[in-house]
Amino acid sequence: MNMERLDLFRVLAERRTNEVVITTMTATLQWPLVSSHPLDFDFLAFGMGHASDFGLGLALARPERKVIVLKGDGGLLMSLGSLVTMGRYGPPNLLVLLLENRSYEMTGGQPISPKADFVALARGAGLDNVERIDALAALEAELPRLLTEPGPHFVVLPVVNSEPLPPVAHTDHTERVARLRRGLGLD
Amino acid sequence: MNGASAARTVAVIEDLGFTDVVSIPDGESRHLHRALLESPEIEVYSPTREGEGIALAAGLWVGGRKPLVILQNTGLMEAGDALRGCGIGPSIPLLLLVGWRGYPGAMSGTLPMDSAYTYTEPLIRAWELPHRRLMSDEDLGVIGEMAAVAEGTSKPAVVVYGYGFTP
Repeated sequence: MNMERLDLFRVLAERRTNEVVITTMTATLQWPLVSSHPLDFDFLAFGMGHASDFGLGLALARPERKVIVLKGDGGLLMSLGSLVTMGRYGPPNLLVLLLENRSYEMTGGQPISPKADFVALARGAGLDNVERIDALAALEAELPRLLTEPGPHFVVLPVVNSEPLPPVAHTDHTERVARLRRGLGLD
Repeated sequence: MNGASAARTVAVIEDLGFTDVVSIPDGESRHLHRALLESPEIEVYSPTREGEGIALAAGLWVGGRKPLVILQNTGLMEAGDALRGCGIGPSIPLLLLVGWRGYPGAMSGTLPMDSAYTYTEPLIRAWELPHRRLMSDEDLGVIGEMAAVAEGTSKPAVVVYGYGFTP
């Protein structure tokens, strides 16, 4: 049974400490409902499908800091080559949590190909630490390991959502970057 | 002589303090790419596509590094959304070294004209990005000039190279 997405976010927010959390697209619009942290970074409207590419760059630049990318499966399909790049260069401090709802939620919920197997795709792209976690209790049990064990890790999380969504924000990009850099002690 | 020296270009990139190069090489930049891989001062990353590369470079910059992006004009066209979203919109001062596919043919009057040649500078101007041309070793100063412009304006800036880098 798929996890309720907002419950998943609550579990992650409760265990997260000083990790950067990058969110993007409709799949993560509810993250601010459970988290307000200087190292939250909303990648929405920074470039379709590229949140994990940005997260990879940030993780390479800040090896002492865990970087978590929360993104949807539709977003991954927009830059599927990212998996190969992560497989080649992905550093130990990168954790990608793929929210699998089998649809392009932002544009109306059009289904993605039912044949796409994201675990197989990630493994085939060269990522070694790939897993699927199907239940909230299992995620709660595995998060301490995922947040501390060297990666990169790629975790597929099947989700549903029955809660209302906050509005989409397409503004303040410069301030989002400045806030994150301040949070990292760079400005 | 057409085309800048790869070795001299790498020396300029090192002197300017670039820490990382995100390179999706074209035929004209292959010697530069190879020379960069030999630099002990620079990390080189080769993503699968240019939009991916610009987002990767933006992440490096936000994390405190100083990346340079090398891509062909056709890749720049592919990467439009990433350039808008990860460079222009959030004021990230990426320097792009852009291969101008079609330039030598256009200069020699070869027909039909490569549309990649035709649209390169109009596209850069449409994004309101400052740019300079790099055609030989004599032009290598434009890399530093455009790096300073990018940092001074907090926006991307572009250097276009019209000929292949020499070994």
